[in-house]
Amino acid sequence: MTILATEGLTKRFPRVTALDRLTVTAGTGVTGLVGANGAGKSTLIKILLGLLPPTSGRAEVLGMDAATHGAEIRRVVGYMPEHECLPPDVSATEFVVHMAQMSGLPRTAARERAADILRHVGLHEERYRPIGGYSTGMRQRVKLAQALVHDPRLVFLDEPTNGLDPQGRDDMLALIRRIGTEFGISVLVTSHLLGELERVCDHVIVIDGGALLRSSAIGEFTQATQAIAVEVEEGLEPLAARLAELGEAVAVQGRVLTVQVRSEDTFDAVRDAVCDLDLNLVRLEQRRGRIEDVFREPAA
Amino acid sequence: MTEQTAIIHDIGYRHYEGPRLGRGSAALALAVHSLRGVFGLGRTTRSKIIPFLLVAIMLLPVVVSIAVMALLKQSAMGYPSYAVTMQAVLAIFLAAQSPYLVAPDLRFRVLPLYLSRPVTVLDYVGAKLAAMTVALFLLLAVPLTVLYAGELLVDLPGPPHTRDYIASMVCALLAAVLLASIGLALASFTPRRGLGVASVIAFYLFTSAVSAVFFGVLLSVGRDAAAKWALLVNPFFLIDSVQVALFGTEPSNGEGYPAGPWPALILVAVIALALTGLIMRYRKAASS
Repeated sequence: MTILATEGLTKRFPRVTALDRLTVTAGTGVTGLVGANGAGKSTLIKILLGLLPPTSGRAEVLGMDAATHGAEIRRVVGYMPEHECLPPDVSATEFVVHMAQMSGLPRTAARERAADILRHVGLHEERYRPIGGYSTGMRQRVKLAQALVHDPRLVFLDEPTNGLDPQGRDDMLALIRRIGTEFGISVLVTSHLLGELERVCDHVIVIDGGALLRSSAIGEFTQATQAIAVEVEEGLEPLAARLAELGEAVAVQGRVLTVQVRSEDTFDAVRDAVCDLDLNLVRLEQRRGRIEDVFREPAA
Repeated sequence: MTEQTAIIHDIGYRHYEGPRLGRGSAALALAVHSLRGVFGLGRTTRSKIIPFLLVAIMLLPVVVSIAVMALLKQSAMGYPSYAVTMQAVLAIFLAAQSPYLVAPDLRFRVLPLYLSRPVTVLDYVGAKLAAMTVALFLLLAVPLTVLYAGELLVDLPGPPHTRDYIASMVCALLAAVLLASIGLALASFTPRRGLGVASVIAFYLFTSAVSAVFFGVLLSVGRDAAAKWALLVNPFFLIDSVQVALFGTEPSNGEGYPAGPWPALILVAVIALALTGLIMRYRKAASS
């Protein structure tokens, strides 16, 4: 099922073109939206929420046109902005209850949902204290809770791991995965870090300069980047040179040679080259492909 | 051996199947939340001090007045002049509390969260304006009503001042709308609460000084008609002039105001101007 689709979506500001004829679709589950800062990620989310009119093209969310049905979309969609957005002088509970009411939940239902969702995002006793005293990790959880409190069908998370330490990052990513699977809420999550998203996404969309660079299932990304690591005792350079002669894509990374797998023949070529050069093979292992590798220039 | 009767289950995530209300109830929830906030309800004890202190000051002359009525059997304070007499307290309340309604949402960028929900910019502004209007109206209406109740209980000789009471209540509503729109418009231009407080109080001091100076100067050169116009620069005299025009009450300044529909028209124009500024400010804030 398609949860969002854009067609030739363009947004021009007086001085920059934020989105340039972007045509993408995303289905249920967790979709990653990757791009450098300024690639147009936040602009896309604002258009999808119906808060910003596109210059041209169309955007559809859950089958509704974003330009004309903004209010209906915002009723069933959650949004966690990239920036700080929490008042310091109220408690997390009070804030999330208020935000639930702002999404149209009656007061008693808002209270129940807020208690539930704060527990799910991992805020416990501290939820009764004013937000002003929270750590960055706790604030991100409150931001996430307010986006989920009205049980949306789809949630936009704009850079949810920003400013978190490694542990906080892992927790947040695990939570995003749970939202997409256990909670059954579709997620569009943005990041400028590709590596983060491959752990939680079913599908990744890469945009650059407002245009689509690539959109595919996560399996295809990692498949395309299958590589093997080769380590020999001595003579790494001659081996690299021999493999390069045979037309393999090789890169020397310290004491390890990374060889991109083109086909089954690559494995044979490595074996034969090691034998021919009479080298002592120490390690030959499959490297887990990472999305970054798709965009990384092979080392010269 | 007892049979196990209760088991705790981890029921996991539950979807919400209940009703989803419309824009109207969301805006109402925002207005109620804001109104509670104006009086510091649901917030720290410290933020309750100023509003409730000012409420107490507003009630003080009423209490004295009722005591005078009860002991000396004569009416002390008139209803129509109450707002003008207490104008400094009202101005302080407006200056202290209207930035609370608008500044934090701008400063801490909560506004984008509101706008990511079904409410529109106009709903947001409307809810904030309603909250401030109701707060100011309560600030005026509660003491006036207490005074009226006191008058009825004391049972002075002669009929009760019901007409004056109604006139002052209607004008309390007009004053609330005027002050709320001016206060919010001024406060919304800065995300800093302190600056908002300063700009609202500066506006009040400036208008009351200008109206007093021009009134004095024009009166001394014998241009009485122009002097009466100068009074209308002060928003509290503007309201009083409308009260005089609508209900024929005694002017609180003792001099009288320009006759005809002009005070009422000026009042409407000032409210419209303030609201236009407020809405334009939020249109801009929403698009950034």
